[in-house]
Amino acid sequence: MITTGALRLPLILLVAFFLQFTPLPDWLATARPLWIAAALVAWALSSRDPRGLFSAWIAGLLLDAAYGSVLGQHALALTLLVFLAIQMRGMISVLPGWQSALALLPAWLTYTFVLFWIDGSTQHQADPWQRWMPAYLTSLVWPLLWPLMRGLMRRDFRE
Amino acid sequence: MKSFPFPVGSPSLFPRGPGVGLKTLVLCMTALVLMVVDRRGDSVDGLREALTVTLKPLFWVTSLPGRTAVAVTNYQTRDSLLEENAQLKQEQFLLNSRLQKLDSLQAENTRIRELLSSSTQLEERVLIAEVLSAAQDPYRHQILLDKGARDGVYRGQAVVDASGVLGQVIQVNAYSSMALLITDPNHGIPVEINRTGLQTIALGRGDGQRLSLPYLPSNADIKAGDLLVSSPLGGRFPAGYPVGEIIETRPSHGDNFMEALAKPAAHINQGRQALLVWSESYPVPEPPPAPAPEAIEPENPE
Repeated sequence: MITTGALRLPLILLVAFFLQFTPLPDWLATARPLWIAAALVAWALSSRDPRGLFSAWIAGLLLDAAYGSVLGQHALALTLLVFLAIQMRGMISVLPGWQSALALLPAWLTYTFVLFWIDGSTQHQADPWQRWMPAYLTSLVWPLLWPLMRGLMRRDFRE
Repeated sequence: MKSFPFPVGSPSLFPRGPGVGLKTLVLCMTALVLMVVDRRGDSVDGLREALTVTLKPLFWVTSLPGRTAVAVTNYQTRDSLLEENAQLKQEQFLLNSRLQKLDSLQAENTRIRELLSSSTQLEERVLIAEVLSAAQDPYRHQILLDKGARDGVYRGQAVVDASGVLGQVIQVNAYSSMALLITDPNHGIPVEINRTGLQTIALGRGDGQRLSLPYLPSNADIKAGDLLVSSPLGGRFPAGYPVGEIIETRPSHGDNFMEALAKPAAHINQGRQALLVWSESYPVPEPPPAPAPEAIEPENPE
């Protein structure tokens, strides 16, 4: 059981990394949601754990190494995203799942925009369609993911 | 405290603890500095390598479902194995006979090259590498290979597969290396049209299927079906490996230029193995002694 708070975040991140890196056929890979970003945001929204920001930064560095992108790109984008999530915490926690999915769409788009922008300034070209697609898909899976994460947190709270 | 009726489970009445903004700022600045340093030189390569090594078990585990699928489809009965064995033997026989012809052709080529006093070496050193992971990201066409600096892999090394050029190594770690595929939008490869000898550049289009040859003169002699082979002019790729086949030519942008589209010859993202090639211009770690001159001496009439 994941009851001790210290291990829970690394475990959630590990699952997110697996989902992010499981090989998919090319046509489906475009439609992969931003699992790691979603996991970090769900964590930041449902927990007061102060490690969220730093974890986002580390996870971002790992993503940079995995994708071979310039070191710091995903770290910067994820840190900003989690910061946004922390700011939106009060609002999101009172919204039902589908509304929070809509409310978070700008956050995914901001995240994607930061990546896109750094790509641009480091002269890496990417197909914009493939870049933006995952942001919308993350919002689509959010109503499923959010109750799950909330359930995890709440169970811990009752104990 | 635990009976506090908040669903999120926090005792704090002040949701935004002090320092969140500051922490974000510090982390973002660190990330920015890292990016600048990474762009300027190789000084953070150690960090990158450490991170890649950390991720290696993860890649291994995520590749398990795919491997299981391959193992299941590879499950065969004795009969089918026998059949395949017979077929392979036949094929090998055929190939061996062709190889003999190739040997004599190679000898002849060496002789003629000697007459021309050209020093181009014919045999290249190669190394088979396993593909650890591929295309985790549809807009970055990269593969991770299981050979690294310990095996003498260097940055810029050509990677080929059984049917053509795959790409080149862009990052070398101790035990693994990252290769950029020719279909990546950032990749360009100098090519030669095999039929006419026209030199040009093939760029990746980023869709994983096509290469683009932009800025050809509109009267260039190039047509669908032409074979593109790698050209040594860039000093990076060994000469003569197939790169692709022209499938379409079309005028582009203005009237003065033409663009050609080619289909890569290599099976991009389909194999689990790739071949690393040491090209002629790069110092080979220990070149095998070439027995060429003595071997062909008896064939000379003089």
